[in-house]
Amino acid sequence: MKSTAPLQRLVQLLLVVVGSTFFVSILIRLLPVGLEDIYVVNPDPVGRAKEISDLGLDLNPFAFYFRWLSGFFRGDFGSYVYPGPTLEPVSEHITRTLPVTLQLIVYVQIVALAFAIPLGLVSAYKVGTRVDRVISNGLFIFSSVPSFVIALLLAFYIGVQLGWVPPLGYAPPFCSAEDIDSATACGFGEHFKLMVLPVVSLSIPLIASYTRLLRTDVIATLREDFVTMAASKGLSNRRILWTHVFRPSSITLFTSAALNMGALVGGALVIETIFSIPGIGFEIALAIGSRQYFALQAYIAIIAFGYVFFNVLVDLTVGLIDPRAKERRK
Amino acid sequence: MSSLLSLKNLHITFDTPRGQLAAVRGVDLELLAGESLGVVGESGSGKTVLSRASMGLLTMSTAHRTGTVIFDGQDLSTAPRDTVRSTWGTGMAMIFQDPMTALNPVRRIGSQLTEGLRVRLGMSKKEARGRAIELLKLVRIPDPEKALRKFPNQLSGGMRQRVMISIALACNPKLLFADEPTTALDVTVQAQILQLLSDLRKELNMSMVLVTHDLGVVAGHTDKIAVMYAGEVVEYGETKELFANVRMPYTEALLNSIPRLDQKSSGRMTVIEGRLPDPTKPEPGCAFASRCPYVQDKCRTEHPELQQSENGHQFRCHFPLGVAK
Amino acid sequence: MKFKQMGIFSKACVVWLGLVMFFVVFGQFIPLPKPTDFDIEAMGVGLFDSWKHPLGTDSNGYDLLSNAILGARPSMLISLVSVFIGGIIGSTLGIIAAYKRGKLDYIVNTVFNIVLSIPNLVLGLALVAVLATNPDPNIEVPTSRRVFVIVLSLTIVIVPILGRIARGATLSWSNREFVVAARSMGMKDSKIIIKHIVPNVLPAIYAVGFLAIGVVIVVEGSLSLLGVGIVDGVSWGSMIARVRGDLEFAPHSMLVPVTILALTVIACNQLGDVLRSRLDSREGRL
Repeated sequence: MKSTAPLQRLVQLLLVVVGSTFFVSILIRLLPVGLEDIYVVNPDPVGRAKEISDLGLDLNPFAFYFRWLSGFFRGDFGSYVYPGPTLEPVSEHITRTLPVTLQLIVYVQIVALAFAIPLGLVSAYKVGTRVDRVISNGLFIFSSVPSFVIALLLAFYIGVQLGWVPPLGYAPPFCSAEDIDSATACGFGEHFKLMVLPVVSLSIPLIASYTRLLRTDVIATLREDFVTMAASKGLSNRRILWTHVFRPSSITLFTSAALNMGALVGGALVIETIFSIPGIGFEIALAIGSRQYFALQAYIAIIAFGYVFFNVLVDLTVGLIDPRAKERRK
Repeated sequence: MSSLLSLKNLHITFDTPRGQLAAVRGVDLELLAGESLGVVGESGSGKTVLSRASMGLLTMSTAHRTGTVIFDGQDLSTAPRDTVRSTWGTGMAMIFQDPMTALNPVRRIGSQLTEGLRVRLGMSKKEARGRAIELLKLVRIPDPEKALRKFPNQLSGGMRQRVMISIALACNPKLLFADEPTTALDVTVQAQILQLLSDLRKELNMSMVLVTHDLGVVAGHTDKIAVMYAGEVVEYGETKELFANVRMPYTEALLNSIPRLDQKSSGRMTVIEGRLPDPTKPEPGCAFASRCPYVQDKCRTEHPELQQSENGHQFRCHFPLGVAK
Repeated sequence: MKFKQMGIFSKACVVWLGLVMFFVVFGQFIPLPKPTDFDIEAMGVGLFDSWKHPLGTDSNGYDLLSNAILGARPSMLISLVSVFIGGIIGSTLGIIAAYKRGKLDYIVNTVFNIVLSIPNLVLGLALVAVLATNPDPNIEVPTSRRVFVIVLSLTIVIVPILGRIARGATLSWSNREFVVAARSMGMKDSKIIIKHIVPNVLPAIYAVGFLAIGVVIVVEGSLSLLGVGIVDGVSWGSMIARVRGDLEFAPHSMLVPVTILALTVIACNQLGDVLRSRLDSREGRL
């Protein structure tokens, strides 16, 4: 590829943002029900026309989309519309719920990687032995169990029957003055107690797929000359695995972990609903349930931006992990 | 001089889907301290396996080794894994064929070079760095400080091989295995690297095993030569003696296959006809019989034993060259 | 691949999927309590506690065994149909785009990326919610329309997943000598695609198709759990959704559908995996 490659890629990524939001925009205008019938209840024809034009619903779908897009880039994420019409900015919902989901997803990634990396290294190092078979087959089964199944079982057996941790709810890690006044659960202790079950439910299938990715690459790396070379220096096997084998084998793992962030929002949607966590996933489900399509469009835009962000991040960092990757792209 | 490495009746077999593959079949070799030995053979002759097995680097579960390996008075074939490992780097070290694949592509030269020093010799970070610069100077790398910060792919092939040599030499090994150290390099760089190895060996008073497919490479750089064919040593002797009195038809064929400047340009390069025998199906007679221009009936039925002649010259042939019958 | 050559685990998976498919086809004819009949005398019967209700009943007295068996049809049919249609659309797009290259390929690939950038479940949920709306939110959307919308949404989810596989496989096959040769002999593109490309790309699609069935079953279950699945139907997802509230009275009532759903997903993934690794080794030999 030529030096225009990064530019081309950026264009393609921007197309993803524009395309996905445009898709949603068209979709909600093609509803079997007109948005004006949902949001505008004013019986007076003049008032009704004004309300419709305030919401931009009199525009054609393209103009409607560009109105939304220009608003979005000016920082106007759109609004929740309640009959009246009363508007409530989506940005308020986002600043409240996005951090919660980010906490959840970051914990999930940390836990998944913390288990998957040693497991992947060990099963690759012991490839073909009983240890490898137990790890690989055991994890294969776990990778196929949907996380909502794990969540429901954990919530019931650990949360309700054993009562080790509360079965649902959320507590912020830092206490605000309000929390203390209203005696709401908050602080690190409560926070992590409530996060345990959701994090476990989301990370178990991830551990399985990450371990698998790493195992495959480590097996390939172990055949490389530089591993024999490292051994011939008299280094211990453990040292060789961590300092020589892990990094060159980790590209696929980290790439897929980064690109997984979006899919995790989808996973979080169900898990947050099951555990009543006020995150963005739960918020999306609520918005869809209560027909807040403008809000939905903003959420999709955020997810698409996240997708682009992590793609760019991968492009930029892959060369830091493995200098060979840069050359291969050329 | 005392014996540094001695191999006795060394056999290496691999499990393959097609059966047992005998890569090395009963090799006896002796290497004295400070001596250099060239191991020569075609690819598939077992020379690389031999050098790796002598160090104990064949760790895959499909490889099986019998016979003894005694290094510096210690029997490594029965020693526990950790004892064997403790000889690596400080006792024996190895240079690999392709520096591009043998250097870790994701780590800087500096960390790869100082790693052994710090782990095996317990040097501090600063000491190790100082020694690393010394080593890079030793292998004639210009601007060593800068080289320490580079990744392998930022160096030329010749420089990479120099770096690999410096890594192998880092912990002052007594014995250096060099496995086809110049094959992956440009022709112009090959001679430089060989000269460097030769010089360093004398400077540091090391022993060296130089593994190559090219008799021309070992000619000027080793004290002794062992020619391998199908997993066996077929001719062994001091370099001068061996070149002066080639006894084994295979060695002669190898010599003829070296392209030489003094040959007429019209003359075609001689290649050895035929192929190595299938290592999973050992033949009863001489392994070279099917390709030997001087083959006789006896060669096909009776396996020749290694014969001793004057000046320690050994060969494995029923009808050696230059010996009147 | 021959059944005999499979590992014990794969055999178990084939047997399980066979059983599920048997219930999909013949479930209706098995004399079982109807899923809508509830047994007022046997509410919350435990697993294996009663001959009449081998898998027990939930807290409302619904028989779990008959629910599970009859739930196979909606769950599996929705998955199979959407993977089938999505697979056909996706692979057609992917194959043609990759074969023609150029602008068409760029557009198709971008569209795939756009759809893939939205998480499966968010996309499915949005589509179902948008397409299955009534002007008056208090009027239930008829089940048939709901099923249609769910299948349509899941199809859209599947198109880029299988489309990308088809595109990738076609890109590598269309450079092979026999394709280039066929082209240089003036064979028509449509004929090359049908004779040379499709037969070689199909195995990869089958393999990923199995994995896609697993994906769809999970998304369908999640949709039910979120309350936009087939509400009055008896799919496995809606069984889970129905019993979620009263776990305390009959915990096993969730264990049954959850286990069945998980086993089916595991079986699909395993078979997809076996197909894929066989494919990899075939490609490796080439």
